[in-house]
Amino acid sequence: MARFGGQRIPEQEQRDELLSAYLDGELSADERARLEAQLAADPVLRAELDALRHTVALVRALPAVSVPRNFILAREIAARPRPARQARPRLAWAAPFLTAATAVASLLFVVVLAGDLLLLGMGNRASAPVLEPQMAAEAPRELPAPVPASEEDVVVEAEVEVEVTVEVEVEAEGEVTLGAVPTETPLPMPAEVPPEAVPPVTVEAEDYAAEVAADVDATAVAMGGGGTMEPAVPAPIPSPPVAEKAEEALTTLPTATTAARAAVGVAQPTPSKVGEAGLPLEAARDEEEEAAEPPSGAAESESERVLPQRPVIPPWRALEIALGLIAFGLALATIWAWRARRR
Amino acid sequence: MIGLVWRVIRADMLDSRPAAYVVSCLCTMDEESLIAAAQQGKVEAFNELVLTYQQQVYNLAYRIMGDPASAADATQDAFISAFQSIGRFRGGSFKSYLMRIVSNRCYDELRRRKRRPATSFEDFGAVDEEANPVLTNGHERPEEYAERQEMSRVIQAGIETLPPDQRITLVLSDVQGLSYQEIAEAMDVSLGTVKSRLARARGKLRDYLRSQGELLPARYRLEPRVAEY
Repeated sequence: MARFGGQRIPEQEQRDELLSAYLDGELSADERARLEAQLAADPVLRAELDALRHTVALVRALPAVSVPRNFILAREIAARPRPARQARPRLAWAAPFLTAATAVASLLFVVVLAGDLLLLGMGNRASAPVLEPQMAAEAPRELPAPVPASEEDVVVEAEVEVEVTVEVEVEAEGEVTLGAVPTETPLPMPAEVPPEAVPPVTVEAEDYAAEVAADVDATAVAMGGGGTMEPAVPAPIPSPPVAEKAEEALTTLPTATTAARAAVGVAQPTPSKVGEAGLPLEAARDEEEEAAEPPSGAAESESERVLPQRPVIPPWRALEIALGLIAFGLALATIWAWRARRR
Repeated sequence: MIGLVWRVIRADMLDSRPAAYVVSCLCTMDEESLIAAAQQGKVEAFNELVLTYQQQVYNLAYRIMGDPASAADATQDAFISAFQSIGRFRGGSFKSYLMRIVSNRCYDELRRRKRRPATSFEDFGAVDEEANPVLTNGHERPEEYAERQEMSRVIQAGIETLPPDQRITLVLSDVQGLSYQEIAEAMDVSLGTVKSRLARARGKLRDYLRSQGELLPARYRLEPRVAEY
């Protein structure tokens, strides 16, 4: 029996198609012989054929209707230019080819996508065991350190320290105009920044590793006292009430700074240089800056290495995207071409 | 055979204005010559072809559209389009060429109505037999004429229940007498599609006429399905 597009049509429709073709003499010799054998044996089939034949006869016997008027063309109507829309679009003839192209592009897209997913799955399974040893190796680095395992992690720790101090500094910023201290490079408030807060923060450092990497450069400078962020702004000589607070800040500065340096692995500069009361803040910052320069330079280079790279689209992914877009575009063109062809 | 025939064409046949007589000389030529002349832009030659085929074209449009006004519009549009595109006619059956244009025109109109049914088919009312009298054969009695009118009305109603593509296929085949190949060319589809559509159309019409059995004159009624008893 005939099938349309691979779908099964109702039995009655299959039978009608056979009978209709038989009435019009459109069956092959074999098909006609088979049908006539069935007709001879099946009275229901014969009745259906008779009904169909009767229907065709009634339609063919429909009387003609007379025309209400003549449809000849007037000269002015015939002289009208042909509307542009009546031209059959050029793409209409290409409908079958577009259909084939769409099928090919879609198939390629599916194949590439499946291959990419397979490779991705295999890659994930292969890399999973490697992650554990790496994590174990990193564990010791988490310890707050006087001996940091890597400068990268150290930088992370220092950044967190600075962040803690930043919050504290903001509160007192209105009073202590340490002009040369940029907002990103705070001085710790001694009373509010207990040193014991520093080691626990290092635990959190691991959590913020990715975010910190982008700010390592600023962080490194901050560890140096932050004086270089706004070099044009000299540190004003604090007024007496402010000087007191500044002195306290200076006193506590080495606490954090020392921890930072230690984290960076830099030999502590003579604390006395920094901790001496009365030293201009700027000078203290300069010294710390020099001391911190090598590590900051190293940290900077490290930061450059850890700066997130621009995401690069893997070639397979790019191919998937391209094939998907091509298949979609071809599908739209195919639909349009078949609709234009139908007109 | 070439002859010269003088005809008087009244202008009010072309439009609704009062008559202004136009005398035109029309040559009766064979169809190929008329087509060639029409392809050179001679509308008089094309009008000869219109007069030859307008009955068949109008009947096709009428059986597809179901009402005289729509059929007349489709017929006029089809002839205008046929003249404007006659340069692309490359020989073969000119009748099929016209059938293709008018069936496409009707198909587009039916689809347009389906998308935006501004008025329902019922608004057109039943076929106004007075406005569009069926041709009589001159020998039938009045009761036979009435009987035939009733049958035509029921069959036309059944045709109008078919989807556009099946409707056009059925009318081209069983009303106009086109072959499967001519229908395939007219509708720009494959032979298999023509067979399928025609079979479905005939089957649906048969089932419709069975359901309307009581409405048909006795001699036109279809036998009920054997399976129902």
